[in-house]
Amino acid sequence: MPHLDAAYNLARWLTRSPTDAEDIVQDAMLRAFRAFDGFRGGDAKPWLLAIVRNCWRNAGADAKRRAQTALPQDDDGGLVSTDPDPEAIAMDASQSRKLDEVIALLPNEFREVLVLREMEDMSYREIAEITGAPIGTVMSRLARARTMLRERWTARDLV
Amino acid sequence: MNCPELLRTQAFLDGELTGDAAREAELHIATCDECRAFSARAAELSDAMRANITQHRAPQALHNRISALLDKEDAPVAFIPRWRQREFWTGAFSGIGASALAAALTIFVMLPPSAETLAQSVADAHTNALMSGKVIQVASSSHHTVKPWFAGKVEVSPPVADFAQQGFPLIGGRVDKVAGSRAAVVVYNHGRHEIDLFVWPDKGARLPGESTRHGYHAIFWKNGDLNFAAVCDMEGAELHKFVNLVRTESD
Ligand SMILES: [Zn+2]
Repeated sequence: MPHLDAAYNLARWLTRSPTDAEDIVQDAMLRAFRAFDGFRGGDAKPWLLAIVRNCWRNAGADAKRRAQTALPQDDDGGLVSTDPDPEAIAMDASQSRKLDEVIALLPNEFREVLVLREMEDMSYREIAEITGAPIGTVMSRLARARTMLRERWTARDLV
Repeated sequence: MNCPELLRTQAFLDGELTGDAAREAELHIATCDECRAFSARAAELSDAMRANITQHRAPQALHNRISALLDKEDAPVAFIPRWRQREFWTGAFSGIGASALAAALTIFVMLPPSAETLAQSVADAHTNALMSGKVIQVASSSHHTVKPWFAGKVEVSPPVADFAQQGFPLIGGRVDKVAGSRAAVVVYNHGRHEIDLFVWPDKGARLPGESTRHGYHAIFWKNGDLNFAAVCDMEGAELHKFVNLVRTESD
């Protein structure tokens, strides 16, 4: 099934929860299938991702509240403070986990543009279509998201 | 602190600019410390993300569940075949080129013009007006006539004053364009020289300061939410004198 991985990846990053992501993707694929009349050609991937995002928005405050508490809750502080070897922290696995966590904690509007741009390779125009924001807003959010990510990521390196 | 060209720089790094727009951005990055640092940071971050971030893949169970659900869908016959066609999901449709082009144009238009573009643009507008003999659309030495004339023609209300006593009489005005924006042009005389004072809304563009293009000097400045450019073929000192008069009057 085409773009299912992209749909799931976006849902995972938006909801920050595997269960919610599955529900949303299932909902989105059915809607995409039924709404096929509304598909006006072009690349199907941004079209499908827009539906995923809408399903996530429609899932409403309830799902979002659950997602907030479903943030990665591993004992980050403990792990870092008891790890005697700084190089071990810089290993790929923990690097990846840290970056994952920092991104997961970005506010929604910044997280989504970053994921769409850096992970799904969407153009500004496609991101604008998916998120329903003007291109100018997409650009400034992206710049802000990168700055925030950078600041928080390097701040964590220094812990 | 924050370079006004930062979004253009980012658009360049994200591969959103082509042709002249890309070259301009590249030139700017080479000369701007902030944008060069931003580029280095963005590249590092992008590499780190692409290398380290978890790219989630749909679990097989989800795949199976959705397939089963879709099989049960009572879809109108008309679109079942297309759903099964590979092209539907891979996006092999016409019109992609056109939309990519439109996207590039949108970004080019909505970014504030570069300093280089502005310098060229006011010089071109001034030259064209002189060559076509259409420097003045409303001729008057009274600001009571010239100022209201602009209302409804441009989105700015330019400061208009007569500096006849200082050697720069007001002679009229016209509407022109600066890098795509409608601008009010207040026209003055100084000896045999004509001075164009361009006034247009500030959209965050970085201004050139001073520039000289095909024999015309221009001085740029900002005041509030307006951009100003005084353009003339006379030497710098006289033009500065004029600019000081305008700035004293409108500040
Ligand atoms: Zn810059």
